[in-house]
Amino acid sequence: MSSRRLFQFGGSKRTARNEIREELQYHLDARIAHLTARGMSSEAAREEALRRLGGSLADAERRLGASAERKERRLNVRDRFLDLLGDARYAVRGLLRRPGFTTVAVLTLAIGIGANTAIYSAVDALLLRSLPFRDPGRLMDIVQVATDEGPTEWSRPKYLVFRDAQKSYATLALHRETPTTITGTEPERVSVEEVTTEYLKTLGVRLALGADFPPELDNGPGARKLALISDALWQRQFNADPDVVGKTLSLNNQPWEIIAVLPPGFRGLSGRAEALVNLTAREPDALNEAWSLEFSMIGRLKDGIAPAQAAAEARLLGPRIYEAFPMQQGTLTTSKVPEKWTAEARPLDSIRVASGLKRSLLVLFGAVGLVLLIACVNLANLLVARAVARRQEIAVRLAIGAGRTRLVRMLVTESVVLAALGGAVGLTVAMFGARLLSTINPQETLQVQGLDGGIGAVGFDSIRLDARALVFAFAVTVVVGLLFGLLPAVRATRADLTSDLKEGSNAARGGRRVGASRRWLVVAEVALALVLLAGSGLMIRSLGNLLSVDPGFDSSNMLTLRLSVPAGDVAPDSMPGFYEQLQSRIAAVPGVQQVALADCPPLNNGCNGTIMTFADRPQTSSGNAMVGVHWVSPSWFGTMRVPLERGRLFSETDRLGTPKVVLINEAAARAYFRGEDPIGKKVAVYQGGFHTGAEVIGIVGDVRFGTIDSTARPDVYISYGQARVPRMMIFVRTAGDPWAAASSVRAAIREFAPRNPLYDIRAMHERVATASAQTRFSAVLLGFFAAVALSLAVMGIYGVMSFAVAQRTGEIGIRMALGAGRSRVLRLVIRDGALLAATGVLIGFVAALGATRVMRSLLFEVTTTDPWTYVGMAVILAAAALLASWIPARRAAGIDPMVALRRG
Amino acid sequence: MTESLPLLKGTLDVLVLKALAWAPMHGFEIASWLENKSSGSFDVDDGALYYALHRMEERGLIASEWRLTDNNRRARYYKIRPAGRTHLRAEGANLARYARALTEILSTSG
Repeated sequence: MSSRRLFQFGGSKRTARNEIREELQYHLDARIAHLTARGMSSEAAREEALRRLGGSLADAERRLGASAERKERRLNVRDRFLDLLGDARYAVRGLLRRPGFTTVAVLTLAIGIGANTAIYSAVDALLLRSLPFRDPGRLMDIVQVATDEGPTEWSRPKYLVFRDAQKSYATLALHRETPTTITGTEPERVSVEEVTTEYLKTLGVRLALGADFPPELDNGPGARKLALISDALWQRQFNADPDVVGKTLSLNNQPWEIIAVLPPGFRGLSGRAEALVNLTAREPDALNEAWSLEFSMIGRLKDGIAPAQAAAEARLLGPRIYEAFPMQQGTLTTSKVPEKWTAEARPLDSIRVASGLKRSLLVLFGAVGLVLLIACVNLANLLVARAVARRQEIAVRLAIGAGRTRLVRMLVTESVVLAALGGAVGLTVAMFGARLLSTINPQETLQVQGLDGGIGAVGFDSIRLDARALVFAFAVTVVVGLLFGLLPAVRATRADLTSDLKEGSNAARGGRRVGASRRWLVVAEVALALVLLAGSGLMIRSLGNLLSVDPGFDSSNMLTLRLSVPAGDVAPDSMPGFYEQLQSRIAAVPGVQQVALADCPPLNNGCNGTIMTFADRPQTSSGNAMVGVHWVSPSWFGTMRVPLERGRLFSETDRLGTPKVVLINEAAARAYFRGEDPIGKKVAVYQGGFHTGAEVIGIVGDVRFGTIDSTARPDVYISYGQARVPRMMIFVRTAGDPWAAASSVRAAIREFAPRNPLYDIRAMHERVATASAQTRFSAVLLGFFAAVALSLAVMGIYGVMSFAVAQRTGEIGIRMALGAGRSRVLRLVIRDGALLAATGVLIGFVAALGATRVMRSLLFEVTTTDPWTYVGMAVILAAAALLASWIPARRAAGIDPMVALRRG
Repeated sequence: MTESLPLLKGTLDVLVLKALAWAPMHGFEIASWLENKSSGSFDVDDGALYYALHRMEERGLIASEWRLTDNNRRARYYKIRPAGRTHLRAEGANLARYARALTEILSTSG
């Protein structure tokens, strides 16, 4: 059926109109014959026959013409569809006949299309999909910019100055995420956002129940404590009580009146808030400090105001805001004050994810695209080989009049069917991949690596295989099918009729021509594979470097956990006593060796910091030193195995009332005491009451509190016994596996403080692992892609070399008959394969040098031109290529010249 | 030979379907069949016949294909499709009822 159609194509054009003429003509002839048989004259019979048709043949034709045209159109569509169906059926039959080829091709495509779709779903969720707020293009993020420091947050007094001066925004709002404890019968650690009243109005979020903050609330501080709770909290804590409005939510032992329930799925810009509370409920001194920069600002543009106009206005207003609150020395708490401040407004969408995350996603997307490209090249290669096998069939078809376009269409249909099968199987791969990606814990993983700059609401958990991803997969499938099918189809149908019809003859000529295009395809494969290998090699080296970093402490056998102690649970003065008792309770647990406290764990993407001044130096603004400040228990250094380099550690006698003392790390000693002995020096640390001066008593080793890939910054340690203690993290050194002791440690703490939730319980080695998770993730994925690329390239080389050996059997036979030894033949074939690989590697080198430049910011202590990586990967690739040509070479060497000659 | 009758509107389709229910035929065969069966009472307008054939083909009641006739000429043969048979049953019954009613009224004496 399909083949008959094939030959009909381009033959006589039997249109519907011609058919009508033929049909009527037949009728006319039959009627005339009938009438003359009854004795009419042929003249009269003709007249009568025409009368019955309605006058003339032309008239009758016209009457039927309209329906004929409709039919013609339908016939065309049907024909084309039938052609397609026939081609598809033909293709499927052909593919079923070669299950080996089909399986390899479908699996290759499935991995390629599936991985692309999975990565695309992540790219879509994290970079492309519009933000889940009303008209998100009108939302702006407004920051202050300190000349040397980059973007910083706002205080409420500064925000008020900006709010009253600007003319660009319909609404403005401040927001800040704060970890909080829901107190009451079942204490729970949650995230809460402190916001101003127009927060929801700015985002365009409608409440599910109740009413928004009343506008007069903004007049605070000291305003009523009102809360909007999340749908999840409403279900969990209030059993979805429809009368929840007016009830009380207890946060940190303070009563907040619930006035509304947020719509399902909405958790604030942080993406994890369980409640929104009005920040004007704060005490005046926690709200009116102009230099307490802690809030982020968003705004919704007025109609008709372009983002660029708003940005220009912000730049103009920046200096005015700075001048409204001149800096007074000595009152600063956060950082040194640069000379020039300005403000900047940028679309909220532009900060949706941290730039590092964006970059690694795009690199992965590029890599997975390369894998698919290699898969395409590989399949094109296989199909060219197949086309050679089919050249006789194709020549026959061409000879009996099948059009070339028609044949190309038939062959391309085959590759599209193949791609469609691959795409279908690929969806399973994509589904699995997307689910895997969506389980990445963004909060911890990203924060620890300093990649948490984005909007929490745009998270990995929003990755899913949705309609957009399916459309993408479909488009990729079609493009891929055309891509790898077109070249072989065009090549194959350019057959030389006379020579190809004569079976077997001239195979060498045609073979060499097709062979050349196959060789170039293999070179391309090798080159692309090297790009991927180089990229993954650089990533793996980065990972290796990260893993060999000494973070400055011993992370093995250590459990870390936090205990929430809301203000009011323990009086400030009894805090040290509370913590001492807590430590001794934990120390008594079997399997626990040491216990210590610190306010901030290592690898936390930075901790609290301030400035430090020196008693024996003149005070200038440029002489201020930035330091990280850490409150620790005296046992912390021993527990963490942080070495004491000089001087002494804290002792139990360093308490409130005794002379204030501090420890500094080596980085601080290097940075601020060049050529001096720091020990015994007087310094002032502007935190925890230490601005009155303290003595440096010792130098300890550097600990990385930031990210694993950034060296330690200058740090100052204060004994928690000498200061009002903030929240402390508990560090427990165990005898063996930290998780083995975990439950008894928890039980001991529960017994001591039953009403305080324990949270953030993790083994220290897990925190360290998390710190390199992003790099590990990229390295694993890139490594996998590179491995796929390598095996595809090897398959390509193997295919071409086997083919070449099969083609040259006769030639090799002659060579051997003339005395060429086995090893000579072996060398001949391997040299051929090596030439292909070498060309590919050379081109790949150049391409990789260019392509890996985009990875620069993702690498750690490796340059993008790292010679070892390149050489190593080239060696791997070359070895694989040689192996791939060795097998066909051995086959060639095993040729029996007699058999070969008889056959050739 | 009596004077032949012009066909009543709407009856041609049913008659053609009836003819094709018998066997696949080309247009002239259908015309001849109708004339024979009606003993020459019906005068089939050939133009109208082909118009009806093409219309019914478009509506899916009948199908056509080119075949060779007994004397080896190409002719378009029509055959009835299931939808055509359904149509024939329904419309045929209607027409028969109509004819009976007509006969009854007209044959009433007085």
